[in-house]
Amino acid sequence: MSVTESAIVEISLTVNGIPVERTVTPRTLLVDFLREDLGLTGTKVSCELQVCGVCTVLVNDRPVSACTFLAVDADGTRVRTVEGLAENGAPNKLQEAFISHHALQCGFCTPGFLMMATALLESGEDVEREDIVEHLEGNICRCTGYQPIIDAVEEVAASLPPCMARRNGHAATREAGGQ
Amino acid sequence: MLPSFRLARPQNLTDALAAIGEEKVPYCGGTELLLAMRAGLTRPETLVDIKRVPELSGVEVRDGAVVIGAVERHMDLAVNSIVREHLPMLARVEGAVGNARVRAQGSIGGNLCFAEPKSDVATALVAYGAEATIAGPGGQRSVPVEEFVAGPYWADKEPEELLVDIRVPVPAAGTRAVYLKYQIIERPTVGVALLHDAGAGKCRLVVGAVGEVQTLFTFSDPAEIDPAAVAEELDPTPDLSGSERYKRHVAGVFIGRAVRAMAEAA
Repeated sequence: MSVTESAIVEISLTVNGIPVERTVTPRTLLVDFLREDLGLTGTKVSCELQVCGVCTVLVNDRPVSACTFLAVDADGTRVRTVEGLAENGAPNKLQEAFISHHALQCGFCTPGFLMMATALLESGEDVEREDIVEHLEGNICRCTGYQPIIDAVEEVAASLPPCMARRNGHAATREAGGQ
Repeated sequence: MLPSFRLARPQNLTDALAAIGEEKVPYCGGTELLLAMRAGLTRPETLVDIKRVPELSGVEVRDGAVVIGAVERHMDLAVNSIVREHLPMLARVEGAVGNARVRAQGSIGGNLCFAEPKSDVATALVAYGAEATIAGPGGQRSVPVEEFVAGPYWADKEPEELLVDIRVPVPAAGTRAVYLKYQIIERPTVGVALLHDAGAGKCRLVVGAVGEVQTLFTFSDPAEIDPAAVAEELDPTPDLSGSERYKRHVAGVFIGRAVRAMAEAA
């Protein structure tokens, strides 16, 4: 019995709701696929060690480090990047909160923080400040000192209707067949 | 940019075992393997993606043990109802591994196979007395996790073998377990797991992250534990998280806290 070994793979996914079909080599990283093949340069790259969080995107609503995620593993998934956050061409609530709280200075880490925070806001039963601190501790910002970022996310969390209840991982797990 | 490689996607355990070998390595979440490849530490010719192998996934109770498939992700295990019911300490540990992205991508099996000396998961599993099921050309074998994680970045597994699942004996009623860690960077300075089965008079203390491998100490009751004496027996590795003397001190403090926390543990 032998298993096929491929040097090139066809992938089919949606990126910010738009269907995409491409052929990639197995070594292609999701971040390079997004930035170079699709021209979506909002997602940044820095540490390439899953430590800094700037490359965070959502794959089936779960936050992943696109720098350490093979594009072939995005086959059949829904990928969301910072470019997909705006609503009707205007910043969404979270982006507005980042602006009003001065939660960014140079802006390099911002796409990662926005996507990490989005994952939390969409999944939390009741998001308290300490949940936000814990969830964002894997993202690095060298400008703001973090407090304005946490304030911004907290403001949006407080404005959410109760029972948008989807605990971290639950939503995606159910979709994957409830393993 | 990663070096180039081919990709294989076996759909069952037989095909997966046929596909792996010296230059053809199992691939799941990539949280350790892709970093090692980027750093030039390993250059496999083929990655064998085992995520589609049904025998390697799922969580169930079978023959008195919680059987956890090797490809189960940390994030899923943290909220899994079986894990939360029978192994609440492990569920909490899984919910605090690395960061949320690592938990979304990384698997429990990959964590053990890479034998990272600072693995929270290995420390917790040794406290529970868990065993690893390994499949190879000659059939399956089972080894205690403390033997499987044989050394730093060294798991007791041949290139043609696969970790299939981890079997954690369902703790007896009334068993209590705690895990405490001290962490200021990406990985813990020290992790302490303590499990006490009062009915059987069994107490397992595991100290992880300070040295090259987890260290297991057994007692009959937490009251017997002298934190300073246990800390003296450790073999800490000086690294970015501290000197040998410092790590020994922090380990002693956290062992003491674990013993005290045991009183209130669920």
